[in-house]
This record gives sequence, C-alpha cells and structure tokens, in this order.
Amino acid sequence: MNSSLVDLLPPLLIVAPILAATLPIALGLRFDRTGWSVAAITTTGLFAAAGYLASVVHAGGRVTHTLGGYPRTYGIQLVADQFSILVVLLVTGVATGVLAYTRRGGPRGNTFYTAYLLLVGGLLGISLTGDVFNLFVFLEISSLATYALVSSGDGPESAVAALKYLVLGTVAASMYLIGVAFVFMATGTLNMVELAEAIPNAERQTLIQAGFAFIVVGFATKVAQWPLHTWQPSAYEQAPDGATPLIAALVSTASAYAFGRLIVTVFEVDYLASMPRAASIVLTVGCVSVLAGTVLAVIQREVKRMLAYSSVSQFGLVITAYGVVIAGGSETAFTGAAIHLVGHGILKAGLFLSAAIVATSYGARTVDEYAGLAKRRPVVAGAMAVLLFALVGVPPAVGFVGKWYIALGAVEAELWPVAAVIFLSTMLTLAYAARLLEKMYFTPAAGAASARGHGPGTVATDGGEQSDGSRSSSEPRSDGGDENGDEGREGLASDDGAVETPLAAGVSYDPTGGPGRDGSGRSPDPVSSGMVAVVVVAAIVAVALGFAGGTFADFLEPFLTEVFN
Amino acid sequence: MVADLRPLAAVLVSAVAIVLIVASHRRPNLREGWSVLAAVGKFGIVASMLPAVMSGTVYRWSLYESTGIRFLPGVDFALRADPLGILFALLASFLWIFTSFYAAGYMRGLDEHAQTRFFASFAASLSAAVGIAFAANLVTIFVFYELLSLVTYPLVAHNEDDEARIAGRKYLTYTFFGGGVFLLAGTVMVYWLTASVNGDPTLAFESGGMEALATAAQAEPGFAQAAFFLLIAGFGVKAALMPLHSWLADAMVAPTPVSGLLHAVAVVKSGAFGVARVILDVYGPGLIHDLPLDVPGIGEVGLNIPVAIVAAFTLTAASIIAMRKDHLKRRLAYSTTAQLSYIVLGLSMLHPYAMVGALFHIPAHAFAKLTLFFCAGAIHVETHTDYISDMAGIGKRMPLTLSAFTIGALGMAGLPPIAGFVSKFYMLIGSGYMGGEYWIFAGTLLLSGVLNIAYFWPVVYTAFFESEDRHDAKPVLEFPRGGIFESYGAGAEGQKEHVAADGGPSSADRSGSESESESDAAKSNPAPAETDDSGATDADVEDDDYDYAVDRYPSDADVPAGDHVSAVDHHGDHDDHLTGGPPAGGWPRHSPIGESTWLMLAPIAIIATGAVVLGVVPDHAVFLDLITHIVEGVFGVDSFDQLQGLSLEEALEVMSE
Repeated sequence: MNSSLVDLLPPLLIVAPILAATLPIALGLRFDRTGWSVAAITTTGLFAAAGYLASVVHAGGRVTHTLGGYPRTYGIQLVADQFSILVVLLVTGVATGVLAYTRRGGPRGNTFYTAYLLLVGGLLGISLTGDVFNLFVFLEISSLATYALVSSGDGPESAVAALKYLVLGTVAASMYLIGVAFVFMATGTLNMVELAEAIPNAERQTLIQAGFAFIVVGFATKVAQWPLHTWQPSAYEQAPDGATPLIAALVSTASAYAFGRLIVTVFEVDYLASMPRAASIVLTVGCVSVLAGTVLAVIQREVKRMLAYSSVSQFGLVITAYGVVIAGGSETAFTGAAIHLVGHGILKAGLFLSAAIVATSYGARTVDEYAGLAKRRPVVAGAMAVLLFALVGVPPAVGFVGKWYIALGAVEAELWPVAAVIFLSTMLTLAYAARLLEKMYFTPAAGAASARGHGPGTVATDGGEQSDGSRSSSEPRSDGGDENGDEGREGLASDDGAVETPLAAGVSYDPTGGPGRDGSGRSPDPVSSGMVAVVVVAAIVAVALGFAGGTFADFLEPFLTEVFN
Repeated sequence: MVADLRPLAAVLVSAVAIVLIVASHRRPNLREGWSVLAAVGKFGIVASMLPAVMSGTVYRWSLYESTGIRFLPGVDFALRADPLGILFALLASFLWIFTSFYAAGYMRGLDEHAQTRFFASFAASLSAAVGIAFAANLVTIFVFYELLSLVTYPLVAHNEDDEARIAGRKYLTYTFFGGGVFLLAGTVMVYWLTASVNGDPTLAFESGGMEALATAAQAEPGFAQAAFFLLIAGFGVKAALMPLHSWLADAMVAPTPVSGLLHAVAVVKSGAFGVARVILDVYGPGLIHDLPLDVPGIGEVGLNIPVAIVAAFTLTAASIIAMRKDHLKRRLAYSTTAQLSYIVLGLSMLHPYAMVGALFHIPAHAFAKLTLFFCAGAIHVETHTDYISDMAGIGKRMPLTLSAFTIGALGMAGLPPIAGFVSKFYMLIGSGYMGGEYWIFAGTLLLSGVLNIAYFWPVVYTAFFESEDRHDAKPVLEFPRGGIFESYGAGAEGQKEHVAADGGPSSADRSGSESESESDAAKSNPAPAETDDSGATDADVEDDDYDYAVDRYPSDADVPAGDHVSAVDHHGDHDDHLTGGPPAGGWPRHSPIGESTWLMLAPIAIIATGAVVLGVVPDHAVFLDLITHIVEGVFGVDSFDQLQGLSLEEALEVMSE
C-alpha cells in the first residue's frame, strides 16, 4: 500500500463532497436533472474510500494528514482513528442509502443535492478534524447546509422551523466558539493533541473551566438535549421527507461525536474527573433528556415529531454515557456511546425513511393514520417494527449492544441512579414504539370499520370488499367507536367515530402536488423498490450489528487504551 | 461438553418454518403442514440428544467457536443441551406437536382472521422457548427471553379489538419490565461481580452455581443479593409471581391454543425455568443458603425465604381468586398462576426432594393444564360457551372433552393417579426434611390442593350432574361475599319449583349474573302450563318465547361458518353472556367420537392420557429420570441414593465435598 496515498484520503473525504456540491448547480445550467447522479457517484465513492480507510486504520492504527505541512502547533491536522472512522463510515453509508429514497421520493432540485453534498462534507470534516477551531468551521458548514435543507420543505412552517434552528444553532455554535476562545486564551493552541498536553498544565484553570462550561452548553444545544432541544422536533418535522433521514441520522450524531472527542482527547478524562461538578452536570443533562424526551415522544401525534423527540432521549443516553466516562473513567461506557451513536444513526435513518415512504404513498403522518399499515405495506411495516424494537433495545439488535455497554459502565462506576435511568429507558422507549406498532398491526384501518355498519351483526357482510386476496386481511374487526377518542384528529373524525385515514381509503397521496416540494414530473407509483429496499437494508444492518458487540469493542480497543492510558 | 449443531438446529427448525408458513399463506393445508412438520422435526432433534444427555454428555454450540464472532466481550452467544435444558425443550416440543393439530382445528373451527400471522408467531414462540431451554449463559437466555415476549405479543393482540389491544399493551409492559429492566439489570450486575474476581467476567451457567459468583458474593454480599432478586423478579414476571401476575389473566383473550401451550406451558414455564436456572446453575443452593439476608427484627434468613414466601402467598391467593372467576379460561389462568408458584416454591425450598418435585411439576402441570385449556377451547369452538354458569349439563354434549377435563382437574388438585400427585408428593417430603418453619409451606401446599378441588369440582359437577334447566348457583363461589338469604337465580320468590318443573330454560339457569337474570326473568313469559316430568333429560322441550342469543343468531351454536366470528366477543366479562349456553332445547346428546373434530379430540385424548401415564408410571416416563439427573448434577453426586434421607445441611455438605 502506498502510504502517502492513504494520507491523502482524509482531506479528500472532506474536499470531494464540498467541491462536488458545486457540480449540480454548475451542470444545472445545461442539464435538468444531474443532482442525483452527482450525489450518487460522490457518496458511493466516499463510502468506498471510507471503507478502505477503515481497513487501513484497523490494520495499522491512526492515519494523520497535516494540511499544508505546517507543524500541528499552528497548522490543521486531519486525523482518522478508530473512533472517527466509525462516524465517517456512518455518515458516508447513510448519505449513500438515503439517495435510494430521494431518487423517486424527492426532493429533486439540483440545489437540494448541492446542500446535501455540502452537509456530507461538513459532517465528514467534523469527524476528521484534529483542530478545535476547524471543528467550529465544519460545524457551521454542516449547520448552514441543514438550515437550507430544512427550509426547502413545504410551506411557511418549514421556513419558521429553519429560522428557529438558525437562531438556536448559531447561538450554540457561538457558545462553542467562546469556549474554544477561553481555552485558547489559557493554552495558546488549538490543536487537539497539543491542547491535551497544555490544559492540565495551564496556569489559569478558571478559563478552562469556563471554556468547558460554554462548550457543554453549545453541544447540548447542537445535540438537542432538554431543555435546549426545541429547534429539533420542528426542524425534523418540517424538513422534506427525503432530507429528514439524513439530518436526523447524522447532524446531531456528528455533534455528539465531537463532544465525545473533546472529552476524551482534548480535556481528557482524568482532568475532567477532577474538575468540580463537570461529571454531575453532564450526567444530569443526559438523564433528564432521556426522561423528558420520552415523555414528550409519547404524547406526540405526528410520527416524525415522535421520532424526533425519541432522538432527544436517545442522545440523552449518549450524553449520559459521556457523564459515566467522566465520573468513572469507564472505557465500557465510552464504547457504548460510540456504538449507540452509530446504531442510533442507522435506526433513525431507517425509521425516518419508513415514515417518508408511508407519507409518500398514503399521506399518513399521524400515529392514528398508521392504522392498518401492516396490511397495506407489509414489508415496510415489518422493517419498521424491527427498527423500533431495535431502538427499544431488544436483543439481538444494535440498540441492545449500545445499551449493554452504557449500563455496564454505569454499574461498574456504581452510579446506581444513572443505571436505573438507563435500564428504565427500555420501558420508556417501549411506550412510544409500542404505540406505533399497535396502530400498524393491531388496529384495522378505520375507514374499513366505518364502512362496516354500526352493529356487530352486520359487520360480516362487506368483509369481502376489503380483501386483497389473502384471507388474513378479509376480516378486519370492528372495534367500537372510541378509536378517535383523545388521539384522533378532530378534522378527520367522521360521524360514527372512526377516523377516515388516507390509508383506509386507499388513496394514494401525490407527493408532487405541493408547490415547494418538487417541480418535475410525477411517477405512476410513488414508492420505488429502491425506497423499500433501503429500509429493509437498514433493518438487516441493525440486527446484524447486534451480533457485533465484541467486534466493536475489539475495533475500538487501540483507541481506548490510548485515551484512557 | 461436545460441540454439536443440534441445539442450534432445534432452535432454528421452527424459525425456518416461519418463512415457509408465511410463504404458503394462500394454502392453509400446506401452511399447517409446515407447522406439524416443524413440531415433529423439533421434537425429533431434541429427542435424539436425550440418550446421550442422560448418560452425562452435554452438547454445546457456540457462535464464537463456529464463526469467530463474539457477541459481547467475555460473553459468548452459546447454546448447550444439558439435562435441565432438555427437560424443558423436550416438554415444549412434544406438546407442540399436538398443539399444532389442535390449533388447526381451533382456528378453522372459528374461521379466525390472520391465521398466517398466528401460525408464524406460534412457530417463532417455540423457537424462542427452546432457545431459552438451551441458552448457555445469562445473556443468551436474556436474548431469547426478550424475543419470546416479542413474538407472543401478536398472539395476545390477535383479536385486534380494544380488549385484545389493551391486553397486548399490558403484556408487553409486564414482560419487558421483567426482561428488559429486571433481568438485564441482574445480568449486568452478575457480569460486573464476576469481573471483579479475576478480571475475567463470566455468565455461563454451571451446575450447582457459578464459582466466580460465589467468590464475588463473599466480597460484595449486598450486590450479590440485589442481583439475585433482580434475576428472580425478571423471571418471576413470566412465572406470574404476585404482584406481577395480572398480565396472565388478561392474556387469555388470545386464542385458546395460545393460552394452552404458551400461557400454560412455554411462556410461563420459561419464567419458572429461568428461576430454576438462577437457583440451580447461577447461584446454586449452597450460595443461596449461605448468603444471609439481614432482615430487621427477624434476623438473618436465607435468600430463598423471601422467594418462598412470595410463591406461597401467590399460590394461595391465586387459588382463592380463581374460585370466583366465572369465565372458564380466566379461572384456568389463575389456576396457572397458582401452579407455577408450586414450582417456584419447590425450587426455593432448596432441598433435593423439593427440587425433584418442583422440576417434575413442570411436565406434570404442563400435561394437565394443556388438557384443561384444550377442553375449554373445544367447548368454545363447539358451543361458544365460555362461562361456567352456562355449562350445566354440557357433559352429555361433549362427554370425552369433559372427561378429559376431569382428569386434568384431578391432576391440578394433586390427586393420584395423575401426574400432579407425584410432584406434590416430592415437594411435601422435601419440606418435611427442611423442618422448622418450613411446615408452613407444606401446609400451603395441602391447603392449595383443597382449594383446587373447590374451584374445579363445580365445573365437573355442573357439567355432569346438573342439567340445563335444573341447576343451582354455587353459593360460595358465585354469591356476593357474605352470602344472601335466597338463591338469586330464582327470578321470583316461590317460583323456583314451578319454573324448574316446566323444563323451560327459564331464569333459574342464568345464575351467572344477577342483573341479567333479572332482566331475562322480566322478559320471559310466565311458564307455559305444559308440564314435562322428564324435563331434566328431555331435549325436546322448547320454549319459543325465550329470547336466547342462539335464537337470534342460530349460527352461534353449531354452524361452523365464519361470518359471525367477529360478532362473538369470547373474552369479555359478562357482556357476551348471551352468546354461550345451551341451545333452546338443551344440549343434544353426542357420542364421544362425534362431539367435535378429530383435530381437537385426538390431542385432548393424548395429552390427558399423558398426564395419567406420568402419574402412574413416572419412573418409566423419561421426565423423572431426567430430573434426578439434574438434581444429582446440582449436588454433585453420582446417584440420587446418596441424597436419600439427608437434611439440606447434610446435602450441602455432600455438595461441597
């Protein structure tokens, strides 16, 4: 292997998508629809390069590239080690996979793919940079691309959501920058490795403590921790269906990765452990987010919002793990955080893609409207069920592996209340996951029920109309009128108490109807096999990674021994 | 330890069947064929391991050794077929064969919806149950335990009505709380404790208890005790220990084959089996006995005592609750709750004899309770009768079914010559050897036998010795607590004799529910003057004025067509009372052969026979042999004779030598 070529891969991974981001616009002057092809080629190439880089890192340790050859005291380093390459793989993999949806599901404009590639470049930059100021730059690049993606959704709501995100995101980035400035004042360097040496020896410790405090607040906002999460549900909900999976799976994940990187590489665990109240603050933020996020998720009506709040609680778990790392110096908890970052990214990408497919084909967006989905789209519903249970932490799936390590870390550190929150998070996650599953599988589409008449004696007569040939669907049951009760959307409730859902009526929702959504032609079937395939792949990967608990730990081992001494 | 693929094959054979079942969803005969084939195959694989396991071989399959993939650091995803695992797997796979015939008959008889989902989930449940049986360590058993909760959920929520959905929610909540919270927490703590010994964590089961855990428990007794109770609570949810039992009765909304095989055998026994694993193979009787729990005001007691107290309380309380349940399946569910606690109680007494009794109660209860559920299901399919108060005289309509029911009921009560007697006998001997305060547990066992009679005898009595038009309310069971001065069943005072004499199915037989019988009485005309002395047995008597549900919907009684199924709520409280009960002319008399389809009658007859065989010749029916092997392994002796006549302390000394 040519080592100088490998050294070039980290900068290439960042520069290639950013440069490619200009192509859809440039080519768009001549050709109509080049965006998807450019993005597909770029992300596939990135994924292959990331895979190659991962194998190199696994075999030979970290790969470092010094930009411009300046020494690291002044210059910028790009570092691919075991921790960062995991996130790089996740980013490139998800970015490639989501394209399978956007091919037909949209949005299709060239500018969308410009923002898409810009976002990927920014996220890869966050993952690979070895410089705290450079990290800020990439945070801003990815945030700006995200604002653009969110605002490209339908109607004024998405503009509001993007504005909200813009304000809070910028404040958060500024907080981070202030923190970096304080640390820079105390140490005089911005390189992560140099900082690690300089911080414990710095004379003005108060500056560093203040800097860390600002950084925590900045990342708590970026990672959407309660109560600083408010930008996130509306951003996820209002972003176009094709963009939400990318944003939900990657943007907060990259920020959470950066936070973890700062904890273990820059400040270092021993130093933070001796910093007063650092551990308890991080732990509190994480635990409260786990609880608050779930409670908020349970009361949501919109599926995308529910999944968004679920992210609040799942990232709460990651932040809790960081807290355990600080408090107990626990390698186990850090492994758990890394696995949960990757696992949650895959799960959320799959779930938001499923939600997008359902919205595209039936216009169903609320939990109630998902009634009877299992019969309409058995494959998507099945994949969604697998992903939801993986999120709950049912073994053998990736959600369980992450939770196992985090819980084990908490027990090893003898942080019993934290351990209790982590174990209970299973039940809390189940609360909203089961709600959706029950709708999909065990609630007949309400339109069918309302068409069946009002008494139990007459229900059998029209059972045949509904049948799609398999006997299993020929007898949806009437389940009384309390279906709509407190959950039903008011406008949709019909007289006899059943909710008229698009799913029940079998109406195919036209995704191209909205003005801002898409300008180009429409397809006969809004759901392509590629869209279904990518969801199924996500489900399979989620289960397959469930068996990789030991592999993950082996892979991270060299990194852990290094940062935990 | 012999590496072998068969433990894995036994788990996977029904997982493969899921795919085939789903693929052949348009051809019901083929689909049910796959179920039967998978059941026979699973039983064949398990049985093929039996001879070698009896002679001391342990078959083992491990993911790491076969593929190099490590599930978690220090934890292998491994299966092993040891005597205890074989016991449970053999039982579940053997009973599945007959249940798959029965399920075909049941589901077709009711023309249920979503049958493919039903049979696929059923096969998946058996996979998970055998996985629990063969799991070689705590994490593997946790994986299958969670999967079992997952795949039985569709069976509980099968009906897709509000009641089923609520039961499903409750089921998921309870089982995931047990599995995902308690069991996982306990597993993590055991992992952490064993890691503290020499830095090498282990979770693998060892017959007689894990050594590393015993060492760690000396250093950290408090955490070891917490882990013990977490594990017991985790498994106790599925074993329906009070106060974590209430999901079981609600889960009876599931179709009867599910209630039979899963909620009387596979699922609930997986809880009891897990308790057995914890007591025998994780902590071991020695450690449990020597790890005293300091109770303020009482002093030090063994870890087993709180478990035994909970089990004793559960079996008494559940029996008392069962007496007042008029819905047959619910009564059976509370009976299951009580009987599972026998197993837990026997295990927690720690004495070798009590253990033999407890472990033997796993198959003994399985055979008897499966018979009972099959009978309840057959009655439901044939007559749509769910409430015991509607069952007067049903013995002549379904003679074979009700005879089998009687056998099962005797087994529950622990009367010879049914299997339940043998297990209870051993448990009583065991508690006798324990001496001291353990007499209270022996007393509970005896009391529970009486209570079993008290709630099963009325069913048998009303079925065989009462008739549709002449039967009484059962005062202790049905009247308001404290009693009333007159039989509320009589619509108006002084009319009782008159009403009974005319043979019409008047209000007197609606004894199940006061309000209903009152309104019925109001509706029904005064009895016609026609007097028929042989009314009790004469099926010709008619009363056209009486407004039975079966008159309005004649198909309910005997037409097996499916178009009315969704109208029948066969699980609610008393809302659906009108759908059951005898037809207008009383029960027609049927021969034992023709009372139902052979798909249901044959399994009933075979399982009931099995319960008798286990009770008459336990030594020759493989289970008891297997169980003595298990107990010999736990106490480290070559022959059970060495344990004969020893007190627990002496047995533990033998064990430590």
